[in-house]
Amino acid sequence: MTPLELAVLALIVGAAFATAALKSVLNSVVAFGAYSLSIAIIWVFLRAPDVGLTEAAVGAGIMTVLFLLTIVKTEHPDVERTFERVDLRAAGVALALVVVLSSTLFALPAVGDANSAVADDDVTEYYLENAYEETDVKNAVTAVLAAYRGFDTMGEAAVVYSAGVGLLVVLNREVFG
Amino acid sequence: MSDAERRVERGGPYVGSPIIMATVRVVMPFVFTFGLFVMFHGADSSGGGFQGGVIVGTVVLMLGIAFGIEATRDWIGPRLPVALVGIGVLAFLFTGIGSVLLGAGFLEYAVYGDLGIPHPSKYGIEFVELAIGVIVAGIVTGLFFAIAAGTTGGESA
Repeated sequence: MTPLELAVLALIVGAAFATAALKSVLNSVVAFGAYSLSIAIIWVFLRAPDVGLTEAAVGAGIMTVLFLLTIVKTEHPDVERTFERVDLRAAGVALALVVVLSSTLFALPAVGDANSAVADDDVTEYYLENAYEETDVKNAVTAVLAAYRGFDTMGEAAVVYSAGVGLLVVLNREVFG
Repeated sequence: MSDAERRVERGGPYVGSPIIMATVRVVMPFVFTFGLFVMFHGADSSGGGFQGGVIVGTVVLMLGIAFGIEATRDWIGPRLPVALVGIGVLAFLFTGIGSVLLGAGFLEYAVYGDLGIPHPSKYGIEFVELAIGVIVAGIVTGLFFAIAAGTTGGESA
């Protein structure tokens, strides 16, 4: 792991703790934006620029704006302390969850492992070898998303459509109804 | 004092800032172009409809923050974002059904070559990415306006 990766990792953990521990919601939202941005950078280090771009645009950009718009409507009393008092029971539950989830980490292959199931799987190799000839598209991720799994992507678009329109109907009734 | 008045007083009504306005005016065309680039160039580099759509939607968010959310909503109109979302879904759907009508499988772009379109797979994929981008941009702007509506009193929209 390079020093740069370590620095970004430290930024992620720090921003995550800040999001949880800061007393003011406004500060938490800003810390959460920083957290999303550093996760996006980690995605780029892990050779997943498509995911990184999504995380940066949605997680760091749009979500921060929507959170800020939402908390403008709430009461924000003047806080005399910067950090939340630590609730030991809640911290214990969070720690237990982290321990349980971390136990699965050892089952994952190392980053960039040439023998991992992801790299030498038949399906992966088929896509990498044939995607350009069959779809005329240089980005194999896009070829899988829009051509090989086009039906799935259409389902996703339908989910975005129905969730979004449903939300808009409810919110507009709440505000204007 | 009514709830709405108190909300306006506390949250503060829109205050125009010449710095933000000028910045948005300069940056906006570039962000919009970058969004379209990500959408179209998703076929050959990283990116795609979802990411590009969000970036294009961000342009409307920037306009709202710089020139006032109410003014931007009045300018765009309440129906346009929802209409865009519907158009995007239908465009995606008809791309799929069209290839079935031409005698191939669902979303099998290669068959559009029969209509004389060069590189049918590539342009088919880019068309679908554009449809996804339109859906996402519409949802992002629609949500932005709907969530922001309460902060400024809400009645005027």
